[in-house]
Amino acid sequence: MSTGGAIFKLVAGFCLCSLVWPVAAEMTLINDDALSAVSGQGGIYLSGDVSINELGGPINNSYFGSCSDAGKKCGARLAFRLKETGGWMVFDDIKGSFAFEGLTLGMRTIDSGFAGDGALFNGDVVELGLPNTVRYNDVRFKLSASNMARPTDPGFQQTDMFAIEMQGGVIMEGNLLVFPTGTP
Amino acid sequence: MRSLSGLFSQIITHLPATVLGVCLASNALAELKGLSESEMSEIDGAGVGVVLENFKFSHGTDQPGAGGNNARVFKIGGIKSTSGQDVDITVNRLYISGANSNYGDNLTAVNLGRLINPWRIDVVNGNDIGIAEKAVLEFAAPAKVSSAQGYDCLSTGATAGTGTCSSRPAATNYIGERADIGMQVNVGIGADSSGNINIHAKSAVVDGSYLRLWGDDARKQMVAQFKLNFYSDELAIDVCAQDGSSCDSRIYMSDFVMELALGNQLQPLFLDVDGGGNFVIDIASIPQPSAGQIGADGLRASSNNQTWDFYNAYYTNPEYRSNFSIGNISVGSKNFGSARIQGVLIQHLSIRTKDL
Repeated sequence: MSTGGAIFKLVAGFCLCSLVWPVAAEMTLINDDALSAVSGQGGIYLSGDVSINELGGPINNSYFGSCSDAGKKCGARLAFRLKETGGWMVFDDIKGSFAFEGLTLGMRTIDSGFAGDGALFNGDVVELGLPNTVRYNDVRFKLSASNMARPTDPGFQQTDMFAIEMQGGVIMEGNLLVFPTGTP
Repeated sequence: MRSLSGLFSQIITHLPATVLGVCLASNALAELKGLSESEMSEIDGAGVGVVLENFKFSHGTDQPGAGGNNARVFKIGGIKSTSGQDVDITVNRLYISGANSNYGDNLTAVNLGRLINPWRIDVVNGNDIGIAEKAVLEFAAPAKVSSAQGYDCLSTGATAGTGTCSSRPAATNYIGERADIGMQVNVGIGADSSGNINIHAKSAVVDGSYLRLWGDDARKQMVAQFKLNFYSDELAIDVCAQDGSSCDSRIYMSDFVMELALGNQLQPLFLDVDGGGNFVIDIASIPQPSAGQIGADGLRASSNNQTWDFYNAYYTNPEYRSNFSIGNISVGSKNFGSARIQGVLIQHLSIRTKDL
């Protein structure tokens, strides 16, 4: 081996060590107290597109997903009782789709702002950042009262009180802050 | 199949324990301490507080485009007129905005609820609110506060110490907690449709409102107590032509106050659906005292004291009564003065829907 090669290897080795050394020097142990003060700062960013019984599903012909056939209910149905032996409150024919972009979920410490309330509050909240616009596509449902849980039950009678239909962009801006109240 | 009220009362019976369990579990191990039975009995399920920060909401119905399709639709339908025609309520506009929105033209942000007095979802101990031995699920708006700390419910320039509302009006450097709320609807019966009806409430406050739900053992039914407080500096109503080209003069109601009490601890609101599929809301009559319980002169000395105290509480509790008042009604340039209905006590109510 030549002397030049040996010197090169020595210098290269030294350089490597000098790269590694400062990194090792800055590593310090965190004790339990310091560690307990560390909190995750991450959040979640959500985009969504939800379809429920829209247009009867992927196939929409005279057999599959036909909403005009009374025997094949198209919308979802949610029925609940308010009395042990009473009739049923019903959200019926729930269908449609909605989409949103940019719903955020994270933690936030509030200790200032809110015209003085922030400093008094001085705590953590779960912050749900609303998506600014939610796009509804033919969202419908009916509020009804029924004597049976299911339309196929014998003697079924139902009174539809009103139906809601929504379409297009709904402006929904701001942050929803959720936190525990009271002193358990 | 189990009824909702049964399931509901089971849930609210177990919820405080669950909440407690979650609270204890989330603490560090080192902080776990044993609780004595008496300490445990003092624990009330802590609720969840909700505040909407910089909130803005708007939806409505657009005029149909060139293809006949609406870009946005918001309709309430499924209602039939007595002659069997479809009634369609088209919501052209519904908004929740901050102060100075100029009847919804200029949407701004608003905070709803205060961090130190938020909207609340809570399971409360019924013994604390006069509903004996029940766990009560409560959805509540910010609570009223003492008049030493609170803000006048109506004035848009209210300062601390002027009233009992907790929500503050907008100020030069703060957006406030009082929202401008408004809607424009159009009612169509068959092919006929009305003009556009506009309702706008400026600086609206709902402090002190709540909905309480619990289960009634004897009737095995869900019961409720509903209090709706609504205060607005100005409520404006007008009717415009459908194309928005012309409007009638606005009816302004200044200093609008509604304090509606439906159901109370003694006469809760019963919710049910009957065998014919009709929705039923009941407030049962208060029982008559049995003979001789209340003296002929109606005074406590000549009556059964316990019975007299019961009826005295029923008649004198201001929480059980509904109030409505308007500071001034004006149409165009004409003022009609104030209107006031106070102390309405609902003694019996039964509402039933009927299919036509």
